[in-house]
Amino acid sequence: MSFNLIIDALKNPNGYFASTPLSLLCALFAAMFFIFTVIYSMKHMKGRSGLWRYYFYLLATFISTLGVLLTNNFIVLLVFWGFLGLLLYLLIGFGRREGTPETARKTLVIVGGTDVLMLLGIVLIWKLTAGSSGLPGLFSMPIISGMKIQLDGTVSIVAYICLASAAFAKAGAMPFHTWVPDAAENAPTPVAAYLPASLDKLLGIYFLTRITLDVFVMTPTMNTILMALGSITIIAAVMMALIQHDLKRLLGYHAVSQVGYMVLGIGTGNPIGIAGALFHMFNHAIYKSCLFLAGGAAERKAGTSNLAKMGGLVKSIPLVFVTFLIASLAISGVPPMNGFASKWLVYQGVIESGGSLWVLWLIVAMFGSALTLASFMKLIHAVFLGQPSEGVKKILSKEKKGTGLLMGIPLVVLSMLCIVLGVFAWKIPFGEYFSPEISGQVNYLGIWQSGLATLMIIAGMVIGSLIYLAGTMKKARIVAPFIGGEKFEKNPDMRVSGVDFYKTVKDIGILKFIYRLAEKKLFDLYEVSMKIVAGFGIVLSFMHNGILSRYFLWFVVGLVVLCIMLI
Amino acid sequence: MTFVYLVVFGFAATALLGLITSWIDRKVTARVQYRAGPPFLQPFYDIVKLLGKETLIPAGASKGAFLIAPVIGISGVIVVSTLFWVNQFFSEGFMGDWIVAMYLLTVPSLSLILGGFASGNPLASLGASREMKLVIAYELPFILVALVPVISAHSIRLGDIINVQAGGVFAGSISGILALIVAILCVQAKLALVPFDIPEAETEIVEGPIVEYSGPGLAMFKLMKNMLLFVLPFFLIILFFGGLRFDGINILWTVLEYLGIVAIITVIRNTNPRVRIDQAVRFFWGPMTLLAIVAVILALKGL
Repeated sequence: MSFNLIIDALKNPNGYFASTPLSLLCALFAAMFFIFTVIYSMKHMKGRSGLWRYYFYLLATFISTLGVLLTNNFIVLLVFWGFLGLLLYLLIGFGRREGTPETARKTLVIVGGTDVLMLLGIVLIWKLTAGSSGLPGLFSMPIISGMKIQLDGTVSIVAYICLASAAFAKAGAMPFHTWVPDAAENAPTPVAAYLPASLDKLLGIYFLTRITLDVFVMTPTMNTILMALGSITIIAAVMMALIQHDLKRLLGYHAVSQVGYMVLGIGTGNPIGIAGALFHMFNHAIYKSCLFLAGGAAERKAGTSNLAKMGGLVKSIPLVFVTFLIASLAISGVPPMNGFASKWLVYQGVIESGGSLWVLWLIVAMFGSALTLASFMKLIHAVFLGQPSEGVKKILSKEKKGTGLLMGIPLVVLSMLCIVLGVFAWKIPFGEYFSPEISGQVNYLGIWQSGLATLMIIAGMVIGSLIYLAGTMKKARIVAPFIGGEKFEKNPDMRVSGVDFYKTVKDIGILKFIYRLAEKKLFDLYEVSMKIVAGFGIVLSFMHNGILSRYFLWFVVGLVVLCIMLI
Repeated sequence: MTFVYLVVFGFAATALLGLITSWIDRKVTARVQYRAGPPFLQPFYDIVKLLGKETLIPAGASKGAFLIAPVIGISGVIVVSTLFWVNQFFSEGFMGDWIVAMYLLTVPSLSLILGGFASGNPLASLGASREMKLVIAYELPFILVALVPVISAHSIRLGDIINVQAGGVFAGSISGILALIVAILCVQAKLALVPFDIPEAETEIVEGPIVEYSGPGLAMFKLMKNMLLFVLPFFLIILFFGGLRFDGINILWTVLEYLGIVAIITVIRNTNPRVRIDQAVRFFWGPMTLLAIVAVILALKGL
């Protein structure tokens, strides 16, 4: 049935496809990430077998993404959405780590499971709006035109929750986030940068925006729930990121944490918050894929992504370090980077959302940003700066510098975008780009003249450089580091890897307890449901153990129960 | 025009006032310890003398990041002080608001951390990691208390926050005074002064992140710290006392407010021992955050 629908859609595109400025913008970014992933993969995946399949999957993912973004029909969207889940599963399978098969399975279960919820949601909407028109009505429900279903009955609320779950699972917001860190760790780096870090965020948040603003009319309660989920996602994921030992897994937790800002922004329900959320979505896709790609280059150089075994890589790949630093400043929201501009918008949306809970959301979001900075400082120390590990020392002594043009180009372009979008943020007409999601002019509560501020930062740096020039810069001399009179070369155990920087935080009061629960995966919906299913299995196998006496016991028990009921 | 403000106020005036504040701090400290203390121009001599010393780069350091870190730090503090000065003079608002100020104020710490990491020295790594932990420790209560004026003024524009207080300063209300107390302790940590000088801890990790700096680089970090010594109390005055006032008797009040904050910071630093980093984190995330939450709730109630 759905196959016929696709054919019909291809024959008669006007009825099924439509676009808004937002979806076109998303498609543009998707194309950019597709090109960069292919360029990067040419070097990174070189020499693997089955590469034609890999590139085919990348292309198919891109096409399905376009399908989701440009369709105006729920069922067509569902079909492409399903393809994307399957392709994600296949692409993760190209990883070469121990945990790869399990991760791919987990991803498929979470993403596929929420696809079912999406189907349920669509059917419920059909029942609400066009139930009388029968089955053809199900296949012609438009997304973009704006059904404006009131969230006043149980059915509509359940439908919204079903659809939102699918969006959350795709974007990686809590409570469906757990596949993101695993996939980041175990999938090949270009795949991690392509799907969980950029395309899936675009898709998930795009769909969430659609259903939240077009299909349904939000109530204050639902907005509050969205904002609460966003805030929890921000803080919990970044707290987990602080204590990670693996470069890519740490980045994966940030990919979860940043979704929180987008959900928070959409939850505010006012134009400025929504503009911030959508702007953050694009910014996040840029800097997070830059971080993943740069991290992948570092991993490739060091031969590991274990933070304890890296360090000092800046001497080998200085360009990668610079791009990584720019992207990490952007994700931490240091002005004038793009991450700051969008967070600034989200914060104003939060302030404008009214009530008194806004204080809570604002604190969580701003504090989460400080924690993000902290965990990226740890990464920068553990990977690029600090003291090189034994393994890295060997690499530094024999291998040639740099990472090659193919891996370098995407990094440079993406990090430049981080700066450009930040500096010229004040010139972007959000009301135009994101219509009809937000209509008209966006009124700012605060002031952020990013262009002027950048000029002033440059002027400040000129003053700093003048101080250097006034001093004795020319007479610079290389000396041995001072470590209380010890020789560093003779004491390799003095090396600080940086992995345990935030052990202090981990051991504080109630956090210790929460971290212990988190490490037992008690907050992981997938693992918890696995345990529940396994628990049923134990009960059932206890009842059916194949021994006659046990079955006879059940027979007697049943008889007794029957007798009691009859009497 | 903006650049005149940047050079004259953001850099020159702030540096001058910062160095004078640093002299006050050193003089008071000396008097507490029964010493004579330095002459008035000593902080200037220190900077000038450092500029004449040679630049040493440790072997194994990442040269570029090591050298650019002080420049980033000083640039950050210049921009944030320009932001405060200009919003002080033009109430219609300029360049940035409260959120921008909060973010820019972390740039100096960021530059210290980057410089420490880049120097390749294990002691600097330890110091810089402590600095980072200190930042996340004080940032939570600091955001909370800095929100109190925003709640009371119903605006995130610094100009509005200043103007609203023309009718009565926030430090006069219960929520304001509570918030001010917490804010001063956070400023103490932001400046890395005793008892929160854990990142530097001379007796233990020999000035932590800046252990390898010498000559102009060290001069810049010292200047940055001295400028912060002025900029942070200035921020508190904007938030809680309605900014600097230059009309009639109010000049006296402004000077008294400023000196009062500096005096409290100096006295705290002279009467306390250094705490451990985990104690500092507990202190800021525990009692300080609780106090700050009380202040925020009171402010929401309009008290």
